[in-house]
Amino acid sequence: MTRPVAVTGLGVVTPAGIGVEEFSTAIHEGAGAIGEITLFDSSGFDCRIGGQLQGFSARKFVPKSYRKAVKVMARDIEIAVAAADLAVKDSGIVTRAAEDQEMNIDPKRLGCKIGAGLICTDLDELGTAVNTAVENGKFSFVKWGKHGIDNLTPLWLLKYLPNMLACHVTIIHGAEGPSNTITCGEASSHLAIGEAARTISQGAADAIIAGGAESKLNPMGLLRQSLLNRLCVDGNESPVDACRPFDSRHSGTALGEGGGMLLLEDIDRAASRGARIYAEVVGFGAACDQGGIDIETPTAGGLDKAVSKAISSAGIEPQQVDMIVAHGTGVPREDSCECQAWKTAMGDALADIPAVAITGSIGSLFAGGGGTQLAIAAKALETQQVPPTRNFASCADGCHLNLADHPRSEKIKYVVSGSFSIGGQSAALVLKKRESY
Amino acid sequence: MSKRVVITGMGTVNPLAHSVADTWRAMLDCQSAISPTELFDARTFPTTFSAQVKDFDLNRAIKGAERHVHSGRHCTFAIGAADQAWKQSGLDEVAELDKSRVGIYLGSGEGSLDFDNFTSLMIDAWSEGKVDTSKWAELAFQRMDLYRETEQESNMVLAHLAAHFGLSGPAFNVLTACAASTQAIGEATCLVRDGDVDAIVTGGAHSMIHPYGLTGFNRLRALSTRNDEIPTASRPFEMTRDGFVLGEGASVLILEDYEFAVNRGATVLAEIIGYGASADAFRITDQDPEGDGAATAMRAALADARVEPKDIDYISAHGTATQQNDEVETKAVKSVFGDYAYKVPISSVKGMIGHLIAAAGATELITCVLAIRDQVLPPTINYNVKDPKCDLDYVPNKPRPAKVDTVMSNSFGFGGQNNTLIIIGPR
Repeated sequence: MTRPVAVTGLGVVTPAGIGVEEFSTAIHEGAGAIGEITLFDSSGFDCRIGGQLQGFSARKFVPKSYRKAVKVMARDIEIAVAAADLAVKDSGIVTRAAEDQEMNIDPKRLGCKIGAGLICTDLDELGTAVNTAVENGKFSFVKWGKHGIDNLTPLWLLKYLPNMLACHVTIIHGAEGPSNTITCGEASSHLAIGEAARTISQGAADAIIAGGAESKLNPMGLLRQSLLNRLCVDGNESPVDACRPFDSRHSGTALGEGGGMLLLEDIDRAASRGARIYAEVVGFGAACDQGGIDIETPTAGGLDKAVSKAISSAGIEPQQVDMIVAHGTGVPREDSCECQAWKTAMGDALADIPAVAITGSIGSLFAGGGGTQLAIAAKALETQQVPPTRNFASCADGCHLNLADHPRSEKIKYVVSGSFSIGGQSAALVLKKRESY
Repeated sequence: MSKRVVITGMGTVNPLAHSVADTWRAMLDCQSAISPTELFDARTFPTTFSAQVKDFDLNRAIKGAERHVHSGRHCTFAIGAADQAWKQSGLDEVAELDKSRVGIYLGSGEGSLDFDNFTSLMIDAWSEGKVDTSKWAELAFQRMDLYRETEQESNMVLAHLAAHFGLSGPAFNVLTACAASTQAIGEATCLVRDGDVDAIVTGGAHSMIHPYGLTGFNRLRALSTRNDEIPTASRPFEMTRDGFVLGEGASVLILEDYEFAVNRGATVLAEIIGYGASADAFRITDQDPEGDGAATAMRAALADARVEPKDIDYISAHGTATQQNDEVETKAVKSVFGDYAYKVPISSVKGMIGHLIAAAGATELITCVLAIRDQVLPPTINYNVKDPKCDLDYVPNKPRPAKVDTVMSNSFGFGGQNNTLIIIGPR
């Protein structure tokens, strides 16, 4: 990076906890938040477990004057809005969301870059309308056009556009600066945060709400991931033990819902207002590979190149890295590709660097996953503790990551976090502990 | 030190034509690509027409199309457009091109929905006012296809382009509605400036001409319903405008570090000198009525380019032909340009090709490059009655020869994303 950027706020919404303290404590304790799916009847699926949010209500995270808008928020949007609110409050920056205070940042210098996925329409909502346009058991375009479509709320489309995560967040917080929505599957959060750091570094904004949110815990999401053969189907009896990234017994991933947002800020601005600086973003790398179209034989999307670039842009060598936050889906062939990528990027240093994967606790959060990985990375710099990897006992064949089933106290200055998408994109970030001056 | 960023290749597959040259010829001929929707039976919808890409066959357009047999409609357009751009840039002839230094940054939409199966499932598994998800799952596993489902994620176009060109550099997809490809080009510019890549494949692709896309926009009352005057339905900035016309397509540009391009003997088509981005932060349904967000993006682009408003010779408008957009955009231009707003020509090609949503901005930027090359401005067609609220020079009804060197291109998205690019001719 031309110039480091400060992380001054963390906001997470996950099955293991809402808010960074609750979440990081749970991960530190090795909590398992994957359970039986109760959001819908999943009895027709081979995998019937997932990481569901507990006691989550988006209304709590929305200013009173904006509560009506929650009605037009898909789950992904609700998660993003909540995570952004938590990150902003954690940072101490006063935005428009604080209705009784003046903003303490120029709205045009506050941006928003959010990773999002394909939001699936609510099948009951659309189905209610579709079933008014049936003739002889089949969908009738003529009936649909004439009156079927009138059964959908006028704002129906706006619930499902991926950019609506960022739109609601910008409206709530009065963030009028650069805004973007990155849709690169599991790599989205890392890409959004990396791009946001660049935008601040190049001078186009002073602070940016950056991260991602997604939920594939709906019938379409579960179907698509089942078709991809990515889900664990042997864990329905004991969901908390089902998703086992990098472990010799790994057998697939579980879906989760959630996301994480970082408040990134120009480092001088952060320092001058006396903000708590969790970390500095000092390195970013992104890459892709040519195997992304062969979706049945995945690769790690060039993660080795992304990690190498992130490390070199941070101006450090692999052996200076103190901790790795891995993507770790728990899908055997993906874990294997990922391990190979880390090995290629880190070389012999890999064996000595403590690593962690959090999917075993919360499930795969897709576009939201990277944000939670980075929250763990930032907290580790604060606590100097590497959290345990839930459901990890012994390394899968060819896995060279230094994982543990217990927390470890370490001297941590540099953390690398990486992820990659189905489709072949990858990204990695290097966070550095802020040195006291 | 920030690198200069130049355009060295362009390609497009859009409702008017399947190449840059044919598209430009059709635009200077004031043709409309708007016709009754044929992709599905839309006869009873509030809007019965659209701007469709017709007769595009990837097998004829590129070698090796069989690899892309599963790709969605917009993805085939993207591959076709990218192939044209890549060849024009000459990068295909560079021996030992370091493909880890070539990135992709797209604003691509979601892939093609498996409409028939998706819809029939909601009917066949319907029980007591809701979908019986157990039955739904049983039927879905019989009917739904792995590839069609996976290809709906908007990052899959990146996968196809990476495979087609053998690229391994940074790859991003953004989906900021109607602003997406302008945003993609702007952010791609930032990557080249920073030296992250030597070259980058950028632009956008989208097709929302499917029953639910049309439904969504019709419910929002965003589309023209001029079913009796289809070819002239899209009327940007004109008094009788009644909404945009849904289009589809893809446009792709190759951006390069100026030094890299010159050292390999490439032909520079134009240079990107300014990018600005902002959010309205106003409402999900409406633009900021004062155009403050749009003006912020334009001002940011001008500052980034280090040029003054009076240096702009032509503005390629977002100009969707909705009542709101065109009025707000006009206000924003006046607020940024002052009295000069009445002197700088502005036009919207959406009268001819409709609104390509995520692919709109990249398509329009290509027309800006051609305007500089040929010193002629593309027209705003279907312009008959002046709207007192839109009282600028919209280059009505016929192309206009003009001295053009510095051009601004605007794109604004649903939900309030605003993006502006500024380009100049080759130096």
